[in-house]
Amino acid sequence: MNKEKWIAYALEKGFESFEIYQDISEERTISWFGGQMDTFVTSHVRGTSLRGLIGGKMAIMATENDSDSLMEDLIGKMIQQASAITSEDKGIIRKPEKTDEISANRVFIRPESEDIKEALADIEKRIMDFDKRVLQVSFMEWNETTERREITNSYGMDVKDGEKIQVMVAGVVVGDGSEVKDSYEFDLVEDLSKFDRDAFVKELCEKALNKLGATSLESGTYKVIMEKGAMSSLFSAFSQMFSGELIGKGLSPLNDKIGTKIFSDKITVIDDPRNTEAVELANYDDEGCPTYRKTVVDAGVFKTMLHNSKSALRLGTESTGNGFKSGYASDVNVMPKNMYIVKGEKSLTELEEEMGDGLVIESLAGLHAGLDFITTDFSLQCAGYFVKDGKRDRSITLITVASNFLEMMKDVIDVGSDLEWKLSSIRTPSILFNGLAISGE
Amino acid sequence: MLSREQLEKYLALCMSSEADFAEIYEENEVSETISMLSGKVENVNTVVVSGIGIRLYKDVQSVYAYSNESDEASVIPLINDLKGAIGRSDKEASVKLERVEYENRHPVEIDFEKTPLSEKTDLLKRANDAAFASDDRIVKVQTTLLNVKQDVQISNSNGRLISDTRVRTRLMATAYADENGNLQSGSDRPGAGKGLEYYREYTPEQVGREAARTALVNLIAKDCPSGQMTVIIDNAFGGVIFHEACGHALEATSVSKNQSVFTGKLGQQIANTCVSAVDDGTIKNAWGSENIDDEGNFQKRRVLIKDGILTSYMIDTLNGRRMGMESTSSSRRQSYKFEPTSRMSNTFILEGDAKFEELFEGVEKGLYAKKMGGGSVNPQTGEFNFAVQEGYMIENGKITYPVKGAALIGNGKDILFNIDRVCSNLERGQGMCGSMSGSIPTDVGQPAIRVTNITVGGTANE
Repeated sequence: MNKEKWIAYALEKGFESFEIYQDISEERTISWFGGQMDTFVTSHVRGTSLRGLIGGKMAIMATENDSDSLMEDLIGKMIQQASAITSEDKGIIRKPEKTDEISANRVFIRPESEDIKEALADIEKRIMDFDKRVLQVSFMEWNETTERREITNSYGMDVKDGEKIQVMVAGVVVGDGSEVKDSYEFDLVEDLSKFDRDAFVKELCEKALNKLGATSLESGTYKVIMEKGAMSSLFSAFSQMFSGELIGKGLSPLNDKIGTKIFSDKITVIDDPRNTEAVELANYDDEGCPTYRKTVVDAGVFKTMLHNSKSALRLGTESTGNGFKSGYASDVNVMPKNMYIVKGEKSLTELEEEMGDGLVIESLAGLHAGLDFITTDFSLQCAGYFVKDGKRDRSITLITVASNFLEMMKDVIDVGSDLEWKLSSIRTPSILFNGLAISGE
Repeated sequence: MLSREQLEKYLALCMSSEADFAEIYEENEVSETISMLSGKVENVNTVVVSGIGIRLYKDVQSVYAYSNESDEASVIPLINDLKGAIGRSDKEASVKLERVEYENRHPVEIDFEKTPLSEKTDLLKRANDAAFASDDRIVKVQTTLLNVKQDVQISNSNGRLISDTRVRTRLMATAYADENGNLQSGSDRPGAGKGLEYYREYTPEQVGREAARTALVNLIAKDCPSGQMTVIIDNAFGGVIFHEACGHALEATSVSKNQSVFTGKLGQQIANTCVSAVDDGTIKNAWGSENIDDEGNFQKRRVLIKDGILTSYMIDTLNGRRMGMESTSSSRRQSYKFEPTSRMSNTFILEGDAKFEELFEGVEKGLYAKKMGGGSVNPQTGEFNFAVQEGYMIENGKITYPVKGAALIGNGKDILFNIDRVCSNLERGQGMCGSMSGSIPTDVGQPAIRVTNITVGGTANE
């Protein structure tokens, strides 16, 4: 694709400004099953997204065929599409802005395929040898992905960056004759030769073995610790409530709530695309707007809405550098990047002691369906363990937890210290809540 | 799409290795999404997906490469990578392809690509206006029209060369109702493997009105009580219970590796005798239908359960090798970026002979789930969950009041035995199913059924 040619042609056809966004991704995955390589996947994909402002309307188009021979056809279609838009919302293509760029802390060393296979074979054996109740290593996978992002526009913007990640994933099935349980674990691996295989295997197997003998729980209201993984996924499911786009359209549960107390004063939420502890790092958002750290919720008070250029224009403010795509082909949405709840003082064990009797929820299922974003009501399948007199008592399964997210976040007893950055860019520590409805027996 | 000569050359190159099978999947897809908020067109987005996926097998090992570039300079290095992974060999190979012709079972009347945008935005406006006209309490309406045309060409080292064009359309509406600051939503999302002619039979007005109706019911719904109770699940999207509780665990992806509660259960009773179920990828112009699966085999109707007895799994070629069984033409994938595997198409419980009213007889306290949301399952343990979008309490055999916030959970191997009545009002509903090979269109379906003893998770503190 001759980008200069495309931009010049678009301007000639009447576009006021024009942007070309490209995402070039490469992947290598080796999976392992039953003592041998199961699958090997390699890929190279370049996705191109075009945005252009014409007659005050933003036209968008994405293509994986970016041959110059399609230029006239695709740009012609964009003009037609823009003419169909009747919304008064204005979009903008941004002018280049200077920012101090920071670099990621992590350095990933690419291993040879043979070294990956040796590691997978060895870890599989260690899992099988860990405990006689281990029935099967259900899946194992080494995955490495490299992504490069390039944003070019008619104002001379030329943002280029990229990231790489390497992940080890494994799943295990355990059983004791009467029942079967499973679990999985994943870790970011910077240098495979230094990867702590024993720690990985122990974490995976103990998580699965602890589920054996799990029972339901009598329905009722319990004190609950949402363990960091479960809490992160629940917070993530409601994270769009801070979107200036949804608030501007009246489609967020936080409509008209800016400046007011929405959570317990124990809760502070930060959005920081430049957090070097996190897995992803972005000096610019997907519109080329420089990113920065912001306090979204300060001691329970809703301080900052997140914006991209369009949502900011609608509310007469500035973009917060949160214009991100959910894939190269999507429009630029308002999305948090490295958003987290600030950690407290206590470890999970100390939270359990503080709770005395209650439930620790380790996993939630059905998050895509079992919650109402507008009312923030949710009812979700969950599993975990019961704590009695501050100590782990027994494993719990096949129960549901139901509440209202905004109400629950006002009724926080304590916030844990175990904030940990994993693959997702929205994370929280474990949090102890005063009373949540549990349905079981 | 590549020429036959080019494909033969690539396949021969692939087979000059330790591979015993090679396949090339080519795809060109155009999807168009138009969205409207309260009568104003907000976005029109066209996405062109175009690429190639190459797969080699050696016994039960597979290696897969994909790229959006299909020129020789890009493809040959990918093939070399694959040969390196599966094992190089000096053997000479040649492949002769023969094109398989067939009659398209899913003809399309109105091509969305040839339809002016104004006619498509009119469809959205009609749904929008119908929702607003339903009631003064409807304050916002979001509508989205999705049109997709996917061309695929599949060739393999057995000499098969076959193509398919899949056209799909879906109209989605979400209505928001507000009464004294209580904001509730409701939605409707019908779709089909058709062109825009679909909206003659399922009109945009129906979609808008149904979304508004559900939102209005939720305005007056009370919190759902919790506990174990009898649940009557209505037809159409209610079939998500079978999809989650049983369907996923019958896919060879889980079964072949002994990771399903139903592994080794062929010929055994796994459901109450009133339950028979099929997965049918051949239904004319259905949302989950296609002429061929993504390995190039003609789609089929698979009887999964007959009178409670497990009669078939859903099997793709690779997992079939592991199981020592033939493919059931169940191999599907979202796009060339995914290696295909066994997936559902249009999956539903067949009609029984109970009358709808009979389902309620003798139910002292229960839940009538009129509309379901989505759900998920762990095939290994069989534990599933799904959300109720519109529900009503049943007291002493009668529907009493609407409830919201209910989730149903259980174990697939138990729940199928707890279906004690199956009605005769079979309908299907449309969904997107996510699994190993991506997000694909599937129909779920059933007549109304009664399930005794299922755990209902609700928000009411009872």
